[in-house]
Amino acid sequence: MNPESILTLIIVAGTVWGGLIYFIIRAMKYEKEKVKIGEEQS
Amino acid sequence: MKQPEGKQEFFSSRWSLIIATIGIAVGTGNIWRFSRVVAQNGGGSFLIPWVIFLLIWSVPLIIAEFAIGKSSRLGPIGAISKTAGKQFAWMGAFIVLVSTAIMFYYSVVTGWCLRYFISAVSGNLFNTTDHLAYWNEFSGSFQPVIFHFISMFLVALVIYRGITKGIEKVTKFLVPSLLIILLILFFRAITLPNAMEGIKYFFTPDLKIILDYKVWLNALTQNAWDTGAGWGLILTYAIYMRKKEDISLNAALIGFGNNSVSLIAGITIFSTVFALSSVDAMSQVTQSGPANTGLTFIYLPLLFSKISSSNVINIFFASIFFLALFFAAITSLISMVELATRTLIDFGMARRRAIAIVASLGFLLGVPSALDMNIFLNQDWVWGVGLILSGAFISFSIIKYGVDKFRKEIINGYGSDVKIGKWYNYVISLLIPFQVVVLILWWLISSVSWDPQWWNPFHSENAGTCIVQWAVVIVIFVLLNKKMTNRIFSGDI
Repeated sequence: MNPESILTLIIVAGTVWGGLIYFIIRAMKYEKEKVKIGEEQS
Repeated sequence: MKQPEGKQEFFSSRWSLIIATIGIAVGTGNIWRFSRVVAQNGGGSFLIPWVIFLLIWSVPLIIAEFAIGKSSRLGPIGAISKTAGKQFAWMGAFIVLVSTAIMFYYSVVTGWCLRYFISAVSGNLFNTTDHLAYWNEFSGSFQPVIFHFISMFLVALVIYRGITKGIEKVTKFLVPSLLIILLILFFRAITLPNAMEGIKYFFTPDLKIILDYKVWLNALTQNAWDTGAGWGLILTYAIYMRKKEDISLNAALIGFGNNSVSLIAGITIFSTVFALSSVDAMSQVTQSGPANTGLTFIYLPLLFSKISSSNVINIFFASIFFLALFFAAITSLISMVELATRTLIDFGMARRRAIAIVASLGFLLGVPSALDMNIFLNQDWVWGVGLILSGAFISFSIIKYGVDKFRKEIINGYGSDVKIGKWYNYVISLLIPFQVVVLILWWLISSVSWDPQWWNPFHSENAGTCIVQWAVVIVIFVLLNKKMTNRIFSGDI
């Protein structure tokens, strides 16, 4: 693969898959916090 | 407001909601349309604008749908009335009609996938080498009607069981299964000899092509059709999200999740085609074939027969591919049937009766598309472009409500994990309307180049048929506007 292809792969796959993983991790973090708050309140 | 029966149901968790909504977004378009459009638009050159439009079309509209559905707790007609004002209920009705009209023929597509899965499992698919004749024989017979009926019946059973016991339970099985199957196919495809050539083409940008406006418009179209943004489907599922549920982060997850699946499918198909095709690989990927099915139903079965010398292995890979397609199709179809059902429930009908009516009409009105490819193509064209108008109506209703107020009170309101900034105001009030105008004009003007009688409403794919069909339904809905709102809000104080 030439440098342009590698760069495109990094930009596209990095943004799409990287973004997905980032948002999943953040959602898991917030979800844990919500469960914790719910347990404390009950 | 009317509460026709029982208590409001909710998705039991954030993840159940996300999985079900990814089921809406991931459809057959991620698998067959995406690969073809990438090939037709210069491979890597297409992917850059495709990612940009994910950020300025898909995610903002998914956020909008989640927010409107969650705050109104009504289907598109009631939701748009509450957001934009009762005089705009007809816009909600248009959104419902577009997604319902797509449902009629999408059930036929789901049936095709089921039929090809059965053919692959039984080995019948490999008893022939002429896959074009095989497809023509199938699509020209009465069989598509039978499989269309089976698809609609299966979906009606799911919807009948409600949100948690039906939609949530089924999508929790189907969506992860679909992802596992796609990953199996992905790893097999990239380990085939010569697969790297396909991946190389897929990611190689051509700087001349990237400046072509058509590539950008195709990238926008792919996002508009593929993510489910602006269809009213996500809005319908959002009715059943818990009050404490977040909007923005969930919306980003859906958009990025959907495009991640497209990338996996694209790499899989390009690797397979470049590794196994004995003739010009590119011409095979770019072939749209009848109803854009060429690559999927005609060329891929041929390629699957070459994966290995063992027939059992070939049958296995072909079977799981068509099973994945069927799962992708049916999870989207479920949301379309739920949208139509929810609309009738909002009018005061009991869920069971609403499902019976939607499924029966869905089957009957899908039969013409199952029997005649010209009708199929016409409906796909008219309502496919109509979807862009649906997106415009969603954007309009937020502008009418007040974009800043909408962002602060609803999107960033109770339950939000992430606060959305002022950029959202500009995207909804400027960028989305601009994209809508450009996209609709481009498609309609393009149709003039492929049909000299572009004004003739009886032709299957031109500007005339779109404008006439849209105009008829909009006039009817405007006339029924007051009746619709009276019915939905009759119990309102």
